[in-house]
Amino acid sequence: MSNIAGKAYAMNVITPMRWYKVWLNRLIFWAAQKVPNVLNGLLTLSLIHYARWVIIPRDKFPRLDPSQPKEDLEYSYMMFFSNFNGSWAQYVDSFTFAIPSGLDLFWKMNVRYPKSVPLTPFHDYIQHNQIDTSHYYNAYPMAASNDVKSAKTVKKALIDFNAASSNKTPEEFLEDYNKLLNQLQHDFGEMRPTPIVSLAAQAVKERYMESHAGTR
Amino acid sequence: MTQNLDLTDIQGNIVKAYGSFGFFKARYLFLRIDDGDKGRGFVNRITTKVTSAERWEKDAAPSVTTNIAFTYSGLQALELPTASLIGFPSDFVMGMSKRKDILGDDGPSDPKNWDKIWQETVHIWISINGKSMKDIEERYQWVTQQIEASGCGVILLKGHRGEDEAGNPRDDLPYQDASVLYDEKGIPTAKEHFGYTDGISDPVFEGQTNNAARVLGRGKLTREGGWEPLATGEFILGHIDEAMEYPQTAPRPDLLSRNATYMVYRKLHENVGTFNKYLDEQAEIFPGGKENKELLAAKFSGRWRDNGAPLVNTPDNESKAEWDKKFAAADFSTQKRMLTDFSYNDDIDGAKCPSSAHMRRINPRGSLEYGVKDAFDTPGALVNRRRILRRGLPYGKVNDATSDKGNHGIIFMALNADIKRQFEFVQQQWINYANDFKEGNDKDVLLGNHDEKNPGKVVLKVERNSGKPPHFVCNIPRLVETRGGDYFFIPSITALKMIAGGIIDPT
Repeated sequence: MSNIAGKAYAMNVITPMRWYKVWLNRLIFWAAQKVPNVLNGLLTLSLIHYARWVIIPRDKFPRLDPSQPKEDLEYSYMMFFSNFNGSWAQYVDSFTFAIPSGLDLFWKMNVRYPKSVPLTPFHDYIQHNQIDTSHYYNAYPMAASNDVKSAKTVKKALIDFNAASSNKTPEEFLEDYNKLLNQLQHDFGEMRPTPIVSLAAQAVKERYMESHAGTR
Repeated sequence: MTQNLDLTDIQGNIVKAYGSFGFFKARYLFLRIDDGDKGRGFVNRITTKVTSAERWEKDAAPSVTTNIAFTYSGLQALELPTASLIGFPSDFVMGMSKRKDILGDDGPSDPKNWDKIWQETVHIWISINGKSMKDIEERYQWVTQQIEASGCGVILLKGHRGEDEAGNPRDDLPYQDASVLYDEKGIPTAKEHFGYTDGISDPVFEGQTNNAARVLGRGKLTREGGWEPLATGEFILGHIDEAMEYPQTAPRPDLLSRNATYMVYRKLHENVGTFNKYLDEQAEIFPGGKENKELLAAKFSGRWRDNGAPLVNTPDNESKAEWDKKFAAADFSTQKRMLTDFSYNDDIDGAKCPSSAHMRRINPRGSLEYGVKDAFDTPGALVNRRRILRRGLPYGKVNDATSDKGNHGIIFMALNADIKRQFEFVQQQWINYANDFKEGNDKDVLLGNHDEKNPGKVVLKVERNSGKPPHFVCNIPRLVETRGGDYFFIPSITALKMIAGGIIDPT
């Protein structure tokens, strides 16, 4: 099991909902994407890579093969899938502190959803319905999503600057270079290993490294 | 104020920063319990002198205070029932040295380099705060009499580094002394050894004060730009917290945890020589050069060193001079307000007060909303649950401002309802890391655990579209080192009596 890879954490939560409420939830999702600013809070939480809510109607569960028997399900389900930086608690806490009403709106059709405030029943609800990640690969374990965004910004700006700079006088170059630094001043954070997300996860990693020492 | 606290039940050091009540000296003792029964008897006797949070009438304040707290193993030694013990949170159970990887206590801050006392098993912390050394000494003698009276049931542990009365370096002192620093004229100051003014905007919570002016800049920021006290449960167990529930870190029974809190005790050595040298070197290459040395020093902390003026309102020498004039002419309450009542709403980029500045790191106020209007339900959504009450005083003297040697720094105590969510989070995520500030792994200049092999840097931003480049502060050395500490539980006075009586019953 590995919910954590480098600076990222993968969270899957599957919650049941009454089949006849699915259309209402779809309406809410649709409205959230149409009405400006509704997702501002979510987008401002920079620790989030992305968050996605998907409704799986009870007769639409995927089958690996037509020979796999169809299940007769009582509930439809909502799947919540997110990758983020930091610890489980930091993420869930940030969610509930920053956008409690948004969370309630998205989850309110779900069976036994307790509301996001007070915190502990919400913690329990997420924990109870969370499916641990059995395998998780991260191509840039040292990068948080902010680091990736910054790196892309810096790379593009440098390429453009380079292309535009070959014929400048030293004075012009310096002026433009300073402008470039000014424009990029929010993208110069150092990228180093992650602070420890959890001592337990760290111990698992260390035991693994120890038992595999010399086998690589 | 919507909350009336039982101040006679809460220990005084939770509600009051004694330093600001004229208690300029302190002595901290650490003890081990070798016998549960005798240990409880000792706690019983100390409890008779424990200072509550009761309001002092004018001129009726005592001249000395006493407070007591326990580590997890201390509560075990006092034979609390298992059903109570299992209710404590894992961070407190583990204690500070085992949390070193979270706290960034590595290299010179590693527990193996701590004062010798931290190799011992510490059970009890006792603090004595006094208006004079004579007051401290008297109360200390009284405590040592109680230790003797315990008949070897309780041992005073030795092993603090410091200087003895003759000024000789020692590593086996039986207590840690602390004191405010005095200026050349012998007047007490709020300074620490790097010259900064410390402890200005400590959080304010419901029930702590009737004075609305004290909440400005110290409570939680409202959408309208005002301030409200934080929920009591952020700092005291048994009260509703900012998540609208009772703190989940409370052990059973309720009488054991109500009106209690958790304390982080940390002895932080300040590398004064390194700091002074580094500041001088960096001032040479800072825009404006040596003339702007104090501005650069302010960029590290978020406040000017001389009077604590918040940089966000005094971003350059001209605005500072104006502020100083107003400050000098203002009455006491206006001065307080000038020091605390501000936000970063007009400085989201950090061009005035950098987001790497110590003060902004430990309390970003509303700035984690990044100026996105109404992004969160409340502007301090990511901040209000990460606040800590800061207690404590400087210790030691700087005899040679060009050297790191000697014993001088800060006895730092953070009080909160949840060590992991509050103190540890701030230490790990905001001091030693900066993803929330979109600054990658750039650390707090002053407190970060900068690594010799990979020395840190921060970017001091400038006004957007000004065409000017930001300033890079590079090769930051380790300026502050941890010399010891642990996590403690500060029970209410009711709970102290119950612990002492051996009558805690969680069933």
